[in-house]
Amino acid sequence: MQNLQLKPQPLSLKPSLKETIVAAVDTSTMKIGETNTGIVIAVRGANVWKQGGNYRYTRLGPFIFHITEENKREVYNTLEKAYFGFADDYSHQGTPNLLQIPTRIANLLERWLQTMLSKTMANGLILFDGSLTSGTPDNRTQRTKEILGTARKRGNVVLAFSKMTTLRVNGHLITDFLPEHRPPCLFETVNLKSKPPTVLLGDVYVARLTRENYAFRLDIDREISHELRIEAVERLLGNDLLSQSYPETLRLAHILCTFTANEVLAMQHFITFRYGLQIVTRPDIHRLLFGPFGKGESYS
Amino acid sequence: MKLYKKEGNIVEILSFPKETVEKGDYLLVEDGDAGKALIVQVIDVQFASIPGILEELIRALPDGGEQIRGEDVDPLEIAPHITYIQDASLLIGRIRATMENESLCPSSSWLPSRSQSIIRKLPVPTLLKLVKMEGKFPIVLGGTKDSSLLSIDASSLDGRLNIITGKKGTGKSHLSKLLMLNLVGYKVTVVVFDLNGEYLSLGTTIDGKRNTYHDKIHVLTPAQNFRIALKQLNINVMLGILVHALHLPGTSAREFRRIWQSLKERGMLDLHELSEAIRNWNCNQHVRDALFSRYHALVNSGFFADDAAGSMLLEECLCKAKEHGGAIVVNLQNTSTVDRQIVVEYVLGKLVELLTSWKLRAVFLFAEEAHIYLRETYWDDIVTRMRHFGIFTTFITNQPDTIRDNIYRQADNIFLFNFTNEHDLDVVSRASRVDAETVRSIARDLPPHNCLVLGKVVQDFPMVVKVKALDVKTMGETRLFFKEMS
Repeated sequence: MQNLQLKPQPLSLKPSLKETIVAAVDTSTMKIGETNTGIVIAVRGANVWKQGGNYRYTRLGPFIFHITEENKREVYNTLEKAYFGFADDYSHQGTPNLLQIPTRIANLLERWLQTMLSKTMANGLILFDGSLTSGTPDNRTQRTKEILGTARKRGNVVLAFSKMTTLRVNGHLITDFLPEHRPPCLFETVNLKSKPPTVLLGDVYVARLTRENYAFRLDIDREISHELRIEAVERLLGNDLLSQSYPETLRLAHILCTFTANEVLAMQHFITFRYGLQIVTRPDIHRLLFGPFGKGESYS
Repeated sequence: MKLYKKEGNIVEILSFPKETVEKGDYLLVEDGDAGKALIVQVIDVQFASIPGILEELIRALPDGGEQIRGEDVDPLEIAPHITYIQDASLLIGRIRATMENESLCPSSSWLPSRSQSIIRKLPVPTLLKLVKMEGKFPIVLGGTKDSSLLSIDASSLDGRLNIITGKKGTGKSHLSKLLMLNLVGYKVTVVVFDLNGEYLSLGTTIDGKRNTYHDKIHVLTPAQNFRIALKQLNINVMLGILVHALHLPGTSAREFRRIWQSLKERGMLDLHELSEAIRNWNCNQHVRDALFSRYHALVNSGFFADDAAGSMLLEECLCKAKEHGGAIVVNLQNTSTVDRQIVVEYVLGKLVELLTSWKLRAVFLFAEEAHIYLRETYWDDIVTRMRHFGIFTTFITNQPDTIRDNIYRQADNIFLFNFTNEHDLDVVSRASRVDAETVRSIARDLPPHNCLVLGKVVQDFPMVVKVKALDVKTMGETRLFFKEMS
C-alpha cells in the first residue's frame, strides 16, 4: 500500500436523531488447555444491539473443541458446512498450523453472525470489529462481499471499526494523525491500494467521534454513496453512546464474548468433569531456559 | 473440598457450592497415607479468590449499573460450571487437634497431603465421642446445628471459674439458670447474687405450678426474710462489711473491734447497746463520728436486727442445700448500692467461714453483673483464694470490660453469646483458653440464644449450641411502656 494520504479537510459530522437500530458483532477464542494429542479451545460470539434506548444481546457459546492434527481439517470443514452450507477445501491455501485453528473457527462464527445480522436487520447500522479487508485465508472475499451485499439490499450500512491499524501516512499511523478540528469528524484516506490477494471492500476513514484524544480506522462499504456513508456515521452518533470515539454497542459485544479467567477455569472443570479429559500443564521452555528473561511461549 | 494452604495452625480449604459448611463447623482432613487426620474448626467463610471475578461482575453491569438483558445460547451448559467456580468459597479453619489411631493430641505440626487428603464434615456427635465428653453428670445445654444434643459434664464446672457473657437479650441469664438448676439436680449448693430478681421464680413452671426444684430454691430478700442479729455475726465478717462496704478507716476499725469484744464479753451484743457503747466509748471525736455514721448505715439497711426470729438464716439454708442440693438466691433487687455491698460482704464472709470450718464442702456462686456490688479486691480473692476454699464462681455480664483481664486469663470456661462491638470482642478474646480469631469471627454472627462454648467443658473444642428452653417462670423482663399500651 503506497502513497497513502489523508485529505486535509475533515468531514464534519452532526449527530442524526433518526431512530436507527445499531448492532454489533464480535467473537473471541481462547485456548483452554493442551492434551497429549492436541489443544482444547473455546469459541464464543456475541450480537449486541441498541433499540429504543436499551441494549440487548444474544451470546452464542462457549463452544468447546478438541483439535488435533488429525481432526483439524474435519472440524473446520464441518463447521463451515454447517454455517454456510458448503465447505471450501482450504488445502490449496496450505494447511494451517494447529495454533491458527482457533482464530479460523472464531472467524467462521463471526462471519456467520454478521450474515445473520445482515439478513435479519433492515435500515440499520451493523458494526464489525476489524477492517473490511478480505482475501486472507480466514477471510474470504466472496463471503464478505455477500455479507455486504445482503446488508445493502436491506438498507443496512456496515461500519467496521479497527482498534489497531498498520496504515501510515508519512511514517505516522493514520490514527495518530489528528489535525486540529472539532470532533466529531472523519478524515478520508486517498491512494490506498491493497496488495493482492487482499481486497479492500470498504473505503478507509479515520474517525474521531468524541473530544477525547482517540481515533480509529473506520471502513465503510465502498458500494455505498458518499452521502449515505456520512449519514450512517451521523446516525451512529445520534443512536449509540460513544466513549473514547468507540461505539458502546461494539464495546459490549467485545466485552460479552471475551473469556474471563474464571470462565476458563469453569471450562476446564467442565471438560474434566464431563469428558474426563486431562489438561496437561506443559513446562514453559522459555521460562525453563531463560528464567526471568524468558517471556513465555508465543503462538503467533 | 480441597486443602489449599496451611500456615501455623490455620488452614485454608477450598469449598464448592454444594458443600454447605458454616462457621463453627468441624472438618476432618484425613491423610490416608500418613494415617492421621486434622480436626479443623471453620472460623470464617470467605469467597475464594477466583481470577477474573472482577471482570465477570463488571461485565454484568455495563450499562450505567443496570444489568444488560439478553439471551445466552449455551448448548454445552457451561454456565452452571461458571457459577460453580464463581461461588467457590474459602474456608478458614483453625486446627484443634490431630487424630491418630483414634486418639487426639493438640499438635498441628504435620502437613497433610494437599492432593490426597480427603476432607469431610465432622458431625458433632462423632466429635463428642472422639473427645470423650460423656460424663457421669451430664447437663444438656441444647442442640447443635446438626440437630444433635450437646451435653457437658457438671464435674467440668467443679473447681472452675466460668464466665457467661454476651450482649443484652441474647440469653445469658437463661443459660445461667439452666446450669444452676442442673447443678442443683446433682445436689450441688448454689448461691446466686440476683441483681434483677430474675431467679426468684426458679421453683415455678411457666404456668405457675411448682416444679421439681421448688423446695430447693431459697430466696433470701435482705431486710425482709433475710436479716441478721448482731450476735450471730462473726467480728471478722462485721469488720469486712465496715471496712470494705462502708469504707471505715483502720483506726476506727480498731476501736470498733474493742467495742464489739467488750459487748460480746458482757453478752450485750445488740443494736441499741452498740449505739450506746459508741456514744460512751472513750475515743477521739472523729473516730466516734466515723463509727456512728457506719452504725446508722447498718441500721438503715434494715439487714441487721436485734431479733432476727422469723428470718431465714443463711447458714440453715446452706446446710439444707448441702444435704439435698439447693440454690440460695440472694435477692438484691430494690436494694441500694451500699446495702447491696453490705449483703454481699456478709454472704461471702459467711461462706468463707463455713467453708473454712468444713461445714460446707463447696459452693457454686453465680454472680450477675458482679462489678456493681463486688469490691475491687474480691475479684482476685474469688478467682484465687476463695477457689481453694471451695467457692467456684460463674460471672454473668453483658459488659465484658467490667471483668478484669486477669480473670479472663484464668477463666476455665466461657459461654459466649453474640457480641457485635469490636471492643467487647477484644476483651473476651483475651481469655487464655481460646484464640482471638475464633471469638471475633464466630461470636459476631451468633443468633440470639446461641452460645459459643469454650474451655474445659468442651475439652477446648469450641462449640456452638442453641440453648434449650426451660420450663421455669421468667422473671426480670424489661418493663415496657408500649407493651401495655397495645
